[in-house]
Amino acid sequence: MDWLLIIVLLPLLAAAAIGFVPGSQLRTIRGITLGASVLALLCALIAFCSFKVGGGLQFETKWAWVESLGLHFHLAADGINIGIILMGAIVAFAAACCADDITHRMKEFHILLNLMIGGILGAFASMDLFFFYFFHELALVPTFIMIGVWGRGANRNYATYKITLYLSLGALLALIGLIGVYVQTGAESFSIPDLIAKVRETPIDEAAQQWIFPLLMFGFGILVSLWPFHTWAPLGYGAAPTATAMLHAGVLKKFGLYGLIRVAIPMAPAGAQNWLGVLAWLALANLLYCGLVAVRQKDLNQLIGNSSVAHMGFIFLGIASLNVIGLTGAVLVMIAHGLLAALAFGLSGHLYRQTGSLDMSRMGGLLRQMPLAGTALLMALLAGCGLPGFANFAGEVTIFFAAWLAGLKTITVIAAWSALVIGGLYMMRAIRNILHGPRGDDWAKAGDVNPLIATALGLLLAALMVFGFAPGLLTKSIESEVTKIVRLAKPAADASEAQATEVAVR
Amino acid sequence: MEPLLNHYLLVSGALFAIGLLGVIVRRNLLIIYMSLELMLNAANVALVAMSRFNGNLDGQVMVFFIITVAAAEVSVGLALIVALYRKRQTADVEDLATMKL
Amino acid sequence: MNIAAWLILLLPLFSAVVIGLGAFRSRKVSAAISVGAVVGSFLLTLLLISASGELRTSVTWLEFEGLQIDIGLQIDTLSKLMLCIVTGIGGLIYIFSLGYMKEDMDFSRYFAFLSLFVFSMIGIVLADNFVMMFIFWELVGISSYLLIGFWFDKSSAADAAKKAFLTNRVGDFGFLIGILMVWAALGSVGFADLSNALSGETAAVTGLAGFLIFCGAMGKSAQFPLHVWLPDAMEGPTPVSALIHAATMVAAGVYMLCRVFFLIDGTWAMEAIAWIGGLTSLMAALMAVQQDDIKRILAYSTLSQLGYMVMAVGLGSPDAAMFHLSTHASFKALLFLGAGSVIVALHHEQDIWKMGGLRERMPRTYWTFFIGTMALCGVPLFSGFFSKEAIIDVALQSNLLLFFVAVFVALLTTFYMTRLFIVAFMGEPRSAQAKRAKESPAVMTVPLLVLAVPSVLAGYYNAHAPNPLVLCASLVVLVFGILVANSVYSGAKADPLPARFVWLAKAMRGRFWFDEMYQWLIDRVQENLAKLAEAIDRRVIAGLMVRGTHGTTELVGRVLRLAQTGNLQTYAFWFAIGMAALLVFTLS
Repeated sequence: MDWLLIIVLLPLLAAAAIGFVPGSQLRTIRGITLGASVLALLCALIAFCSFKVGGGLQFETKWAWVESLGLHFHLAADGINIGIILMGAIVAFAAACCADDITHRMKEFHILLNLMIGGILGAFASMDLFFFYFFHELALVPTFIMIGVWGRGANRNYATYKITLYLSLGALLALIGLIGVYVQTGAESFSIPDLIAKVRETPIDEAAQQWIFPLLMFGFGILVSLWPFHTWAPLGYGAAPTATAMLHAGVLKKFGLYGLIRVAIPMAPAGAQNWLGVLAWLALANLLYCGLVAVRQKDLNQLIGNSSVAHMGFIFLGIASLNVIGLTGAVLVMIAHGLLAALAFGLSGHLYRQTGSLDMSRMGGLLRQMPLAGTALLMALLAGCGLPGFANFAGEVTIFFAAWLAGLKTITVIAAWSALVIGGLYMMRAIRNILHGPRGDDWAKAGDVNPLIATALGLLLAALMVFGFAPGLLTKSIESEVTKIVRLAKPAADASEAQATEVAVR
Repeated sequence: MEPLLNHYLLVSGALFAIGLLGVIVRRNLLIIYMSLELMLNAANVALVAMSRFNGNLDGQVMVFFIITVAAAEVSVGLALIVALYRKRQTADVEDLATMKL
Repeated sequence: MNIAAWLILLLPLFSAVVIGLGAFRSRKVSAAISVGAVVGSFLLTLLLISASGELRTSVTWLEFEGLQIDIGLQIDTLSKLMLCIVTGIGGLIYIFSLGYMKEDMDFSRYFAFLSLFVFSMIGIVLADNFVMMFIFWELVGISSYLLIGFWFDKSSAADAAKKAFLTNRVGDFGFLIGILMVWAALGSVGFADLSNALSGETAAVTGLAGFLIFCGAMGKSAQFPLHVWLPDAMEGPTPVSALIHAATMVAAGVYMLCRVFFLIDGTWAMEAIAWIGGLTSLMAALMAVQQDDIKRILAYSTLSQLGYMVMAVGLGSPDAAMFHLSTHASFKALLFLGAGSVIVALHHEQDIWKMGGLRERMPRTYWTFFIGTMALCGVPLFSGFFSKEAIIDVALQSNLLLFFVAVFVALLTTFYMTRLFIVAFMGEPRSAQAKRAKESPAVMTVPLLVLAVPSVLAGYYNAHAPNPLVLCASLVVLVFGILVANSVYSGAKADPLPARFVWLAKAMRGRFWFDEMYQWLIDRVQENLAKLAEAIDRRVIAGLMVRGTHGTTELVGRVLRLAQTGNLQTYAFWFAIGMAALLVFTLS
């Protein structure tokens, strides 16, 4: 059943449909967006539940486009992206619900929003390099426009330019790398399964791998706010409208990481061996450095933005450890963090609307004032510092084990400190400043969330907790796919690793 | 002494250099234009000399083309200069630098 | 039987969820559900105890090649004992809370959080592997945070909760690294697997790993240097202090050490643990001598007794530690609840110098507190006597210096508890509220009476003939302490010690300025590091690299612009030069 096709097409069709609706029909526009996202969510849920673990590519749609170049419109789901697509659909629904703070030029905003959602879901569902990149750009360009036109704060022009230039640079580097992959494999096809099959028989020339991998690593890395190319993120999220921040920080950012796992490592394993050490240290910088910067933030969105960048460090660390445990943990944190970022930005959007500012030093006692939102924010911030019961913990603890196993001991120790202590520090400060303590007089009018937003946020929280209590739901499907990738990446080392784990397990 | 090809080419070169110098140094548009014509005619001289010393008519045919095109170009150019003068009341090339970045 | 074990764990969780999702509107329903859950767990515990024998059951949580993390339950003697303490004393504290929190508007939220806490605590007790224990370790940390900061509108409570959580987190960091090291060395995280793996080799696990695991216990059980959160934690409601900071959470560290004793035994970690325990007990006892808030005195006393327990583990006797843990749980809970009863009767007054003369006014509280005091001081025939004995005995046999420390601490304990009792309960009332005090309602005094029973009798289940030297030393210290305290404080209107021992008393009152030192350390190191990171972010990365790139691009653009003069002749000139150069180049 072509679930993925439906999931990807629904938002795109919604965008087209809104184009025909007059700009004054606000309810119709919102209704179309919400309807499309709810349907997409339902389809994603059905697809997720009917996914067969270890069953290879499922829900495939493959249409030939330009045969001579080997371009196909190929959508498929395997263990790695089915979870991410589900997460994307949930976040998309939540973003659609939280988009009600846009009041002027709503029609254009919703068209862009739907394009973005369609692009995101398509990017993760694509099994063809060309459409992989195409859908990503389709989602990225609306982001820039949304931040530029509907952004908030004094800094918004600067933030827009910064994020546009940075991400375009990253996408450019990644594009060069992808083209390099296509040319060097000589496979005459853009289809990822074909490329992987070709590479398994005849790996790409070693020397070529040494420049392809860093191109991809830094290209994708910039897209994911790898240190030191991260400064666009807190600024950008601070200026972005709520729905955009939720979608970008939650889902679109993970594209780069997904690209690393899906394309870079299988295609250029020798390059990976050399460069992943560097990646591990940069990941540590993400965690430690951005954690420290987060401690100094006074603005809630900047805090969440910096915390978001720090969490990317986790995922990079998982990828850098290049073992089954690490890659699985990485995908798990991708999904968990996506839900978390969406939740956090959704809540901060609500706070902004109620209080007009996100300056934490002026807030206080909001837990009394808005119990539902306050409790949700409390849970979100606690999940962010790795509290068990939420999916983030499961992923983080997995990554610690993986990094230790890969021999990155010093990095793991410092990473654990950053995550546990520094992470706890800024989250606790945020809770203390926003929710606890006596209430400032400015917030007397602050109200709680309306039912629509409450549903959206509640759904995100529920997903976080379901996957927190039972991460096995995700890891089983991820693990089988990831094992293949690790075997591709370390064929010689594979035999000795299997021996080593056997000795350890006894 | 018999004039050799070299002598003619030298004359052609000298004419060309004088024309080029005129284009670069002189300020009046009309003088620049005349210098431009001088460069063209220098090329004509070289071509005729080549034709005479190579014994075929190719060079002279090209000269006819050049003379024709030069004539057309002069008429268009002079029309432009007159229009420019009427607009700007000056034919000094220094005053016409509006395409500066 | 398996179902019983799972129910013990899940009933409190169920109660927390139900209250959280809706029942919080009705106080009666919330109270009924949560008390019912914990009593249910208690009864099931008794059932499991009666059905002797061990029990293990588990559910896979995460599984990889080489790493298996289960949610598993392990029922053996150690966990049965601890379960009894947690659910039994917990249940009594719940009932006490029904009275204590009656006036509070967040009644239901309180019981939801209490249920969450008991769930987490039972999780620690029943855990059969390190990662599960770590999970519930963190959950206990967050439940304690929520309960300490229960009255979050008060800045001091919110700050205390934050401090507790962060201090615990530092310990958790060490714990996690220790777990990773053990896993790397032995290939598993399950206790049974680890114990099997170690039975072949000796000290395959380094002392460092053992010490790091002890770090977790340091955080939870508030050992030096992570002790600073416990006294501040008294900001929470008194039953919370009784449950969390006397009977259960702080005991979790000791429990965990006993659980994984096989890992730390024989390594250098043992010495470190013993000394840290001894040092904590000494320091805390000294600090308790000069506190005036009844809850703080009890808090420091708890710290001191925990030091005893940790010291016992370090000296090689987890049995003595668990013994003292169980007796301490009952009499400390009793003391805290008694304090709670007094606080409520005096309208939330906590300064002992404003209490007094409570014998006729609050007889049940008075006499049960008296029993608790005697148990804590180690009066013969009370439970505390036997368990303290056991520990001092172990110290005598292993480390003479620590023996003297332990005896000195016993002296201090007697001194400050007698001081507390004389000032807060005996003599004449020192304030108007004390004069008007009335005995607390039955819902609060009945748990006191019930707890008095194990405070007296719990010692007998493990009693054996005391070592004569230890017996002598304890008795001497006991009598001496009571006499000195009596002479100083009997009938006193204010504390005479600060006048006499100015310097020492100030140090004790100021809790040896640890909090101030930590604050300074945090300000210097943490804040400066953060400032450095932010400065790099703004100046170097955003400033130099990003704006630098922008600036450079713009500069290059401006330079190139200079070539566009708009002057025809300049263009012609360069054109000619270019042509000449090209000709030269191609023709050479």
